[in-house]
Amino acid sequence: MSLNNSKAIEVSNLTKYYGDLLAVDHINFEVYQGEVFGFLGPNGAGKTTTQRMLTTLLEPTEGRIIINGHDLARDAYPVKRQMGLVPEESNVYTELTAWDNLMFTARLYRVPRAERVTRARELLETFGLWEKRDVKAEDFSKGMRRRLSIAMAIIHRPKLLFLDEPTPGLDAQSVRAIRGLIRQLNAEGTTIFLTTHQIEEANQLCDRVAIINHGRIAAIDTPERLKRAFQRVQSVEVALESPEGSEPSGGWAALPGVTTLVKMGDKWRLYTDDPSALLPQVIDYARTHGLRIVSLSTLGPSLEDVFLEITGQQVGVVRHETKGGGVRRGKGGPRRDRQ
Amino acid sequence: MRNGLVQRLLDELAQVWNIAIKDIKVYYLTPPMLMFGLMMPFFMFFSFSVRREMAAAQSVARLLALTTFFSASSAGPVIIPLERRMGTYDRLLAAPMSLVALLFGKSLVGAFFAIAVSAVPLLVGLLWLRVAVANIGVLVIGLVMASTAFSAFGLAFASVPTRSVGSIMMPSTMIRWPLLFISGVFIPLDEMATWMRPVAYISPLTYAQDLMNHAVLGMGLINTWVDLAVLLLSAILFLLLAVWMHQRSRRLGY
Repeated sequence: MSLNNSKAIEVSNLTKYYGDLLAVDHINFEVYQGEVFGFLGPNGAGKTTTQRMLTTLLEPTEGRIIINGHDLARDAYPVKRQMGLVPEESNVYTELTAWDNLMFTARLYRVPRAERVTRARELLETFGLWEKRDVKAEDFSKGMRRRLSIAMAIIHRPKLLFLDEPTPGLDAQSVRAIRGLIRQLNAEGTTIFLTTHQIEEANQLCDRVAIINHGRIAAIDTPERLKRAFQRVQSVEVALESPEGSEPSGGWAALPGVTTLVKMGDKWRLYTDDPSALLPQVIDYARTHGLRIVSLSTLGPSLEDVFLEITGQQVGVVRHETKGGGVRRGKGGPRRDRQ
Repeated sequence: MRNGLVQRLLDELAQVWNIAIKDIKVYYLTPPMLMFGLMMPFFMFFSFSVRREMAAAQSVARLLALTTFFSASSAGPVIIPLERRMGTYDRLLAAPMSLVALLFGKSLVGAFFAIAVSAVPLLVGLLWLRVAVANIGVLVIGLVMASTAFSAFGLAFASVPTRSVGSIMMPSTMIRWPLLFISGVFIPLDEMATWMRPVAYISPLTYAQDLMNHAVLGMGLINTWVDLAVLLLSAILFLLLAVWMHQRSRRLGY
């Protein structure tokens, strides 16, 4: 969807206190019509609080929200008619059938009778639920409930759709279907506000992302511009086989220029400021130690790297010390620490 | 402008009805509704009336007030925490309608439930015990008004922001049960100690019981119009209290 300059959401000085706790700290951002806008942040950063304020579920302590030209504090009714909400929990009525869930929601948004029947059928077919239309949602799988909750959120053709963590816990097929649907909705003109932990999802779907941390917007830009701003976060990824079949390890961290060494599955990732200088050293190291290189590649910063740089979070893979050349494997699963 | 307001009003009324019908489909046969709204008033009545000499008509009048009170005031405290737990309440709060419309829709659910449940003692009284209803008009209007007022009473409790039915039922029961003893249901107003009567007049259940006495027995201690006016006023006040508590929750972020 091509973006235009008119704003779907304008947030200024938005603040939320829970008692003495400052959850959202005077944030400002804009979302343009036709945009897929990603809202990223670690747990407790203020993502959900912000989204709840944008969807009228929570009253801001301070600040202003304007959606499609309407001030939310004064004139929420027309805004509510134009927005759809898919919360993190699939909030379908489990005691009702898929069809009844859609009919109820369509009536709630005053979709005319003839249109709601046509629209419900169209959505159920699109989401692969038409055959299950008379089945109660309590008998649906998690993925099916998710699809139904999205169908309920868009039955009135909202101009602005809020999605909170739409894909975690779903099988790959459902994830692909939902991402495809988000693209399709956006192509049809719906502005999407996507709150997610899934950084790769934001990378694939979003025109722009905002990263919120400790209640403040830490960065806001397109994924590619954000990555470019963090060019120092580059790496060489290498997979090796030793002749004896044992796992090669040890001396990578001692190579000049390696800032952080991370084991990722059967590969090693060597973070560096200068991949081109590191590459020949990696090849020399492998040859010297009798190791066969299975694969070797250089990587630019990913959106996850940017996210981790900005938020100082620890996710993903095993941490390995580089100082002193030692390599250490973390306990209890992968973990990563950027120095 | 006027057309816009009229259309908005019509939309909200349609949404009120939509919510009421949905809740009837979804929640009427859930165990907490059956337990707190259907079985409890009957158990309570029989536990207090066994071995007491009471005319059939008097029993029916009391049972009508009791079932209306308990059934109507149970709906909100059961349904709203369940909706909060399932996340479906957010769907309603985010929908294009006013909080008053949402809560009015919820209060209708309790009112319809109470009217349906109170039909049981009424039919038993009419068909089995051969009780004659003295004033059918007062009976119908009284049941509707009492059910609406007590449903709104339950909603005020349900506006406490919790996902647990028990967290609301416990305080609501602690208030509802004493009301039974000061409202002329178990001890008629004219037999009540003089010092207790002013307390009785604070309770809306007193006026519901008095209306049922007018309707079934053909006599009561308070003017019928006063009974109706107090119940109407109670319904409005409890609904406004529920709206205020919801707005407070939205502001505080519970």
